Amino acid sequence: MPNILEARDLAKYFGGVRALDGVTISVPERSIVGLIGPNGSGKTTLFNVVTGFYEPTRGEVLLKNNSGSMERIDGLNPNEVFLKGVVRTFQVPRLFTSLTVLENVLVTPPVQIGEKVLDAPFKSRWEKQERELAKKAVGLLKKFGMEKYVYSRITELSVAHIKLLETIRGLMTSAKLYLLDEPAAGVDYGVARELFNYIRGLREEGLTFLIVEHRLDVLMDYVDYVYVLHNGKLLSEGKPSEVVNDPKVIEAYIGG
Amino acid sequence: MPEFDLIGFLVQWLTVFGLYSILAITLNLEAGFAGLTNFGKVVFYGIGAYVGATLTTYLTLYLNNVDPFECPPYSIDGIVKLIELGGKSPSLSIGLLALSLLAAFIAAGSVGFLLTYPILRVGPAFVGFTLLSFGELMRIFLRHYEPVGGSKGLAAIPRPFGWVGDPRLSSFIFLLLVLGLVALTYIAMNKLTNSPMGRMLRAVRDDEIAALCLGKHVPGIKALTLFIGSGFSGMAGALMAYYFTSVNPDMFVPAVTFNVWAMVILGGMGNFTGSIIGVALFTLMDRLLAFITPALGVAVISPDYIRWMFVGLLIVVVLLFMPKGLLAERPLKTPALDEARKLLVEGGGGA
Ligand SMILES: Nc1ncnc2c1ncn2[C@@H]1O[C@H](COP(=O)(O)OP(=O)(O)O)[C@@H](O)[C@H]1O
Ligand SMILES: [Mg+2]
Repeated sequence: MPNILEARDLAKYFGGVRALDGVTISVPERSIVGLIGPNGSGKTTLFNVVTGFYEPTRGEVLLKNNSGSMERIDGLNPNEVFLKGVVRTFQVPRLFTSLTVLENVLVTPPVQIGEKVLDAPFKSRWEKQERELAKKAVGLLKKFGMEKYVYSRITELSVAHIKLLETIRGLMTSAKLYLLDEPAAGVDYGVARELFNYIRGLREEGLTFLIVEHRLDVLMDYVDYVYVLHNGKLLSEGKPSEVVNDPKVIEAYIGG
Repeated sequence: MPEFDLIGFLVQWLTVFGLYSILAITLNLEAGFAGLTNFGKVVFYGIGAYVGATLTTYLTLYLNNVDPFECPPYSIDGIVKLIELGGKSPSLSIGLLALSLLAAFIAAGSVGFLLTYPILRVGPAFVGFTLLSFGELMRIFLRHYEPVGGSKGLAAIPRPFGWVGDPRLSSFIFLLLVLGLVALTYIAMNKLTNSPMGRMLRAVRDDEIAALCLGKHVPGIKALTLFIGSGFSGMAGALMAYYFTSVNPDMFVPAVTFNVWAMVILGGMGNFTGSIIGVALFTLMDRLLAFITPALGVAVISPDYIRWMFVGLLIVVVLLFMPKGLLAERPLKTPALDEARKLLVEGGGGA
């Protein structure tokens, strides 16, 4: 499979802190790629650079565009990166706290007719689309056992549901590439597996995932390929079975 | 005791209520929905008032064959001419009214739109102060800008319904116009926000960064919100100029902005109906106190201070018991609610 995302010699320094220091990775289309490493190894920073939060200190990020060629996306704003088909979730969830669960999920879809100021006051123009989106939203919430919480506010949810909801919110769009930052953190084992099964199903449908996850017991059963970061550099990469047996990886995890 | 003119009181109160309602509803759109801490509300109100006053006075003179540059509306001669010529012709009066409202909307709206540029530079924490300072700059500018009368401002602005003859009837027609515009603002804002757009505004307010990551063009959304809110405030300003038949820079002090904020907070952030109730309570209390305080004969403390004290007390008491204001924010009403209910009740339809 051709690559959908490539990071070449990517670096991001914060003053003296080299959060990323020359990382090269590639994510093939229709794959699930894991990104692991001890705390502070630069995983979230990589997401931040790819999604336009930070400009890289060095290196470039390329995304496959609709005409099939690789296009640089570093330097774009986060909203532009989203519109190119890249969705991310946050390690510390960022939900819309005063909206209901349903509303949170409905914010995501791009190109909503009713978001345009000249169409918003005229319900007839966007009602059909709104109903279709609601159907999809409720379907997704049901799928993950959250139908009881459709009208709840975020403040009424458990940590696990908040984490799950952020992923569900991301799934409301038909993006090409999902960057999930610890989607299973705090989620109970069964639901975590359900989530990954669902992700695997979406992969079959043609989507691609780059996933940061600390719960290797779950992650390793689903990923096609794994990158291991350590102190901002790539420590190891390969198939899950190769990586878990790599002495360097074991040492980094145990040695912190 | 003098006879109490109930009708006169009601017309006066409701007109002021109407003007402030437009400001409060739109501030609620900006602050309650989109999270824009607009401490410069008075700027847009003021721009509308000055645009309306300037257009009306200059054009009244010009269209009556008086050269407004030789005999400007702020000069004694100009004022005399305005009193003599103004409000005689129905078509001219109505035409000037319509033109003023339109120009006030566009001028105030455009300034609001353009001011988002410096706002986005300074970051959300300083939005309020940037707009506040801009208001003070505008006031200082107006004080020294001769063509709009400097510190004296413009007076003898012809009333749009002066040609009716009976002043009570003309005030009443004007009140209907004001209330009509309030209804338009209220309905427009409700329609605008009970929609995916309202959802997006609230999302931006709750977490700008998350909204940005979901592809929402946050700067554009803010600029648009300020355009709409300021445009409507500009129209309220133009009406205010007609109501008082004069404008001067000291009408547009920051206290106006803070009054509107107090009304919105009292009524409830994110709830337009709450804003109207907040304005009604505030303006009613203000009018009543304006009537009562002189009668009490309090000379030691200025009646103004007593009014402010009551206002402060009211806010503290209400917020103590109802931290979200009189009416709390409600989930938006879009057909998604109905669709979700159907799917959940039927128990089918899972994707
Ligand atoms: N905005 C920032 N400013 C300064 N240092 C940062 C910033 N973001 C991350 N870092 C530092 O970069 C390193 C990598 O952090 P991060 O990417 O969050 O690691 P991970 O997600 O792998 O746990 C850490 O040392 C962290 O303190
Ligand atoms: Mg992290």
